[in-house]
Amino acid sequence: MSTRITGSMISRSVLNDLNEVSQRLSRTQQRMSSGKQITRPSDDPYGTSRALSLRTDIAGTQQYQRNVGEATAWQSVTDSALSKITEAVQRARDLAVQGASDSAGQAARNAAASEIDQLIESVKQEANASYGGHYVFSGTATSTAPYAVGGADSYLGDSAAVAREIGPGVSVQVNVVGSSLLGNGQAAADGKLLNVLRDISAHLKSGTVADANTLRTTDLKSLDTNLDAISQARATVGATTNRLESADSRLQEVEESLTKLLSDVEDADMAKTYTDFSMQQSVYQSALRAGSNIVQQSLLDFLR
Amino acid sequence: MPISTFVGLQTSLRGLLAHQQAIDTTSHNVANANTDGYSRQEAVMDPTEAFQVTTGTGNVGHLGTGVTVEGYRRIRDSFLDLQYRAQAMQVGDQETRSTQLDQVELALSEPGDNGIASQLAQFWNGWADLSNSPDDVAARQALIEQAKNVAASFKTVDTQLTTVKSQATAEYTALTGPGGDVESIANEIAKLNGAIKQFKANGDSPNDLMDRRDNLLDKLSNLAQVSVTDLGNGSIDVAFGDAATPLVSDTTVTWPQTLTAPGGKLGALIDIAKTGGTIDSYRADLDNVVKTLADAVNVLHNPGGTGTNFFNYTAGSEAATLSVAVTTATVRTSTSGAAGANDIALAITGLRGGTPDKLYTGFVTRIGGDLKNAQRGESNANVLLNSIQDRRQSTSGVSMDEEMTNLVRFQRGYQASARTMSTMDQMLDTLINRTGIVGL
Repeated sequence: MSTRITGSMISRSVLNDLNEVSQRLSRTQQRMSSGKQITRPSDDPYGTSRALSLRTDIAGTQQYQRNVGEATAWQSVTDSALSKITEAVQRARDLAVQGASDSAGQAARNAAASEIDQLIESVKQEANASYGGHYVFSGTATSTAPYAVGGADSYLGDSAAVAREIGPGVSVQVNVVGSSLLGNGQAAADGKLLNVLRDISAHLKSGTVADANTLRTTDLKSLDTNLDAISQARATVGATTNRLESADSRLQEVEESLTKLLSDVEDADMAKTYTDFSMQQSVYQSALRAGSNIVQQSLLDFLR
Repeated sequence: MPISTFVGLQTSLRGLLAHQQAIDTTSHNVANANTDGYSRQEAVMDPTEAFQVTTGTGNVGHLGTGVTVEGYRRIRDSFLDLQYRAQAMQVGDQETRSTQLDQVELALSEPGDNGIASQLAQFWNGWADLSNSPDDVAARQALIEQAKNVAASFKTVDTQLTTVKSQATAEYTALTGPGGDVESIANEIAKLNGAIKQFKANGDSPNDLMDRRDNLLDKLSNLAQVSVTDLGNGSIDVAFGDAATPLVSDTTVTWPQTLTAPGGKLGALIDIAKTGGTIDSYRADLDNVVKTLADAVNVLHNPGGTGTNFFNYTAGSEAATLSVAVTTATVRTSTSGAAGANDIALAITGLRGGTPDKLYTGFVTRIGGDLKNAQRGESNANVLLNSIQDRRQSTSGVSMDEEMTNLVRFQRGYQASARTMSTMDQMLDTLINRTGIVGL
């Protein structure tokens, strides 16, 4: 039996086809206006899960870059404080060398001693350097100044490490503990910077031959040891800064590639979308034209 | 047997009447060309009983006496009706699922900057910022606000899920309750059963009433599975879904009844809204995401469980009850409590992209996948329904070309019958008025 074609079949199938084409057209239009391939999870469930985890990764990478910035700033504050301390120590060394010479009179030694006392205060001042309201040499006790300027030489911070996260599961220590370089002063007799400087000052003031000998031998040696320790700390800070810089550029690259991946998953291919759109539009128009022709014609038009 | 001189007139008259009726039927078809559920009709013409006449050779011959319309046939294939109803049930099911899931998906607003995934990323960032300045009150406040945003987002999605569930329940109640679609359709079918039975008993075929009843059955099959038993006298029994008693038995309606898995739209609504159904399982998934998140943060924030938890929730309704339990003073950033120490903050930041994020992504993917399946199912079922509808229309639908051809055919038949009648008339005129007047 051949199929009978009835009027309602034709009009319904024309209507269905038009509906389908215009639905496709509206989706393409949505893609064009939003620029997104995926606007809802059901557009592509797997793509959506990729997009969500990529977004999390991107947010993380951006945060790590902020953390790296923080850590770098912390390093530069530390380094400039250490450089100032180095300058002060070198000046103190010059003074000690001059004072230790037998040609220097007691008056000159006293003057040198009082300049060294001032240098001690300025070293403590530098050790109280802060970044963003946090004392960088206090360990984790960042709200406490590590040394009391004009007061006792004892260290007031703690010796814990301050860490910054610069990558997933990667953290880096950013602080130099003040007491490891400056120590706790004469009372502790720890041979650290403040102890040595105080000793030098005392030996200069006393002016005995024995003290002048100690000045020439032990004190200068201890001072050089401390100078080495400070240089070493600065080298560590420099190395950390380098590491942070390379981490920063790596994080930027990672963010770029993650953003590109997200765009591949989520964004519409515009060239393809425009081509699709113009193709669907012409299909829609020809469907409309065909529909208007088919629906109008019947035997009625020819019977007179 | 000799026959009457006037038999020819009668034969022509029958032709005129029959064609008249055929044209009436054609006009009925044309008038109903766009009526929903209408099946085209056909005047069934049959020759009337012949006269037995003795021919010149003494044999008996049959002399035709014309035509009569024996009845009006409804052209319909009941097998296609069965297929149509099975498919309409599928469409009802998938369509309802995709509409309901669509609302769930809208509530997620993923992927985007307002979805929970983005909120979680901001939350981890809040912890990272706090780890950079652990004693900063502003950073603490920012973290707490962000945590509250996360809690509010989870609550919103959970509320939206509950709303979809209660809407589905309400829709089910509206359809099945007193005066709802099921009851009113059933009542009308029962009434039509009574009327059709009566006409059939009188040997009549109430085509339009039967069309009306079939149309109602089509509508009913969208709601749930429908199976029809013909009672032989024109009446039918209608079994509905998995209801224990037939919904319509002859002229009796049994409703309301309990349905558990009736298929169709009602089946989908039950599936979505029932205890342990689709929405409940989504909510359980969401609760699990929230529980995992809160537990993971709490165990790091409050190691040993002796201090303050970061998040609070009620077990069993985690998403709806998630709240932030700390203030700027009680957020813990380190085990030592030193101003610059950040081991706890760093550990919590380390949760980024971990199990809670993954579970949430899985939750979104599941809903997206379910909706996509429902949409695909809906469009498949619609394509099948359309093709069955086409086949049904091919059999039962009104074709204008055909009706116009019939109109011409019957009009010509009518004209020709009229012509035979006037020919007959002329013959009788000759016989009556012009015979035996020779020489007058």
